[in-house]
Amino acid sequence: MWLLWAVIDGSRLGSVDPSGSADQEVIRRVAAGDSHALALLYDRYARAVYSLALRIVADPAEAEDLVQEVFSQAWRQAGRYDVRRGPIVAWLLTIARSRAIDRVRARRAKPDGLLMSDERRAQQIADPAEPQDQVVVTADESARLRVALQKLPMVQRLAIELAFFEGLSHSEIAERLEQPLGTIKTRIRLGLLRLRDAMGGAT
Amino acid sequence: MTAAAEHDAVRELSGLYVLGALADAERARFDEHLRVCAECVEEVRSLRAVTAGLPLAVPQVEPSASLRERVLAGVMPDFSRADTKARLKPASPTALPAWLAAAAMLAIAAGLGWYTVRLRDRLAVIEAQLQQALQRASNAETQVARASGAASEARATLAILSAPDLARIDLAGQPAAPAARARAFWSRSRGLVFAASNLPPLPAGRTYQLWVVTARAPVSAGLLKPDAAGSVNAVIATPPDLPTPVAMAVTMEPEGGVPAPTGERYLIGTP
Repeated sequence: MWLLWAVIDGSRLGSVDPSGSADQEVIRRVAAGDSHALALLYDRYARAVYSLALRIVADPAEAEDLVQEVFSQAWRQAGRYDVRRGPIVAWLLTIARSRAIDRVRARRAKPDGLLMSDERRAQQIADPAEPQDQVVVTADESARLRVALQKLPMVQRLAIELAFFEGLSHSEIAERLEQPLGTIKTRIRLGLLRLRDAMGGAT
Repeated sequence: MTAAAEHDAVRELSGLYVLGALADAERARFDEHLRVCAECVEEVRSLRAVTAGLPLAVPQVEPSASLRERVLAGVMPDFSRADTKARLKPASPTALPAWLAAAAMLAIAAGLGWYTVRLRDRLAVIEAQLQQALQRASNAETQVARASGAASEARATLAILSAPDLARIDLAGQPAAPAARARAFWSRSRGLVFAASNLPPLPAGRTYQLWVVTARAPVSAGLLKPDAAGSVNAVIATPPDLPTPVAMAVTMEPEGGVPAPTGERYLIGTP
């Protein structure tokens, strides 16, 4: 049942379209001002965008605001979308993550002493014209990642989640988990390597 | 530093790098190294598969059905976006009622040095007072969030107090109760913890009512019944779409509460 869902989920997300041609066509029509094409994007990807936003901001109303912002930005910037960048879902999720983390950062009381690289990059990350490695995530990979994440040693998992979903910096993570900077650095790397291997099917 | 030594020194930054968690100086250093190291470039490339997958690995939740229409209406060419913005934008905070603005200035001037007990010590006190307050308050008279058992209330309190988005609001006694004090801790994601002391005893047929004053209109956060010592504690589940509080206030109202504040002000404070 779970596996069936994972396969359905993948095809809904369009992540098994290797040529990306379906994506290209939709985004071309969005850029041309076709609101039906935007509706198509919404129907395909709103759930994924909302789920990510909700995970980060932990507030349904704010998460819905973010979904609006993401599709609004996609509507405005579709004309500049570079197909080399990769699947559209990846672009939408990047915008979502960037904006969601901006919001949670704004909530926090005091700023970090160290300069936050993420803050500067927040604007660049979602730039549709910036080419990036094309990374397609299949449904199988996504499912394997979910499982592998739950199996990670606690410090590795927490550190990765604090960095990715809370937007904390290296030093902030070290402070929260009460670990030295060096430990956080190596644990995150080891954790990501392990996740990478699991995604690829290694056991 | 030799190229090999630099490689050994920075290679382990790759994880933080793909997660965007490096401080500027470290990121610049790693960027510099990537220009000359194929091995690290390859590792970064392979780790990007994980960062591409992580957003999809979160629990999938369907948004409300109404969101679709809101999103699409927001981009329709003949729908004036400026119009939407004007309607949704909350009133400027300077539209505070005069009495509130004046009282807020008093609260700030009175100083916040009253509360000197450390947070952790205070937790133990709150827990004890919570037990007492819960025993006294009846279900009909309070609107606090109730999990079964005082232990759950303590857990709810702790969850709120450890929230990353915690805001603190200190309330000062007004002329009706100069010795009264209160403190509220509010987390948008987790709720409100409220503790007051030295509130005068309630006359028959009256109750205290807690208000969250927003830029739009005061929202009732519940009814409060102090114990014999004039203390009351509450853990309140605030709606997630509650606008950010501009101030909090406690007024005295008729038994059962009222939809908007009408009675005398006893406590007022701002974040």
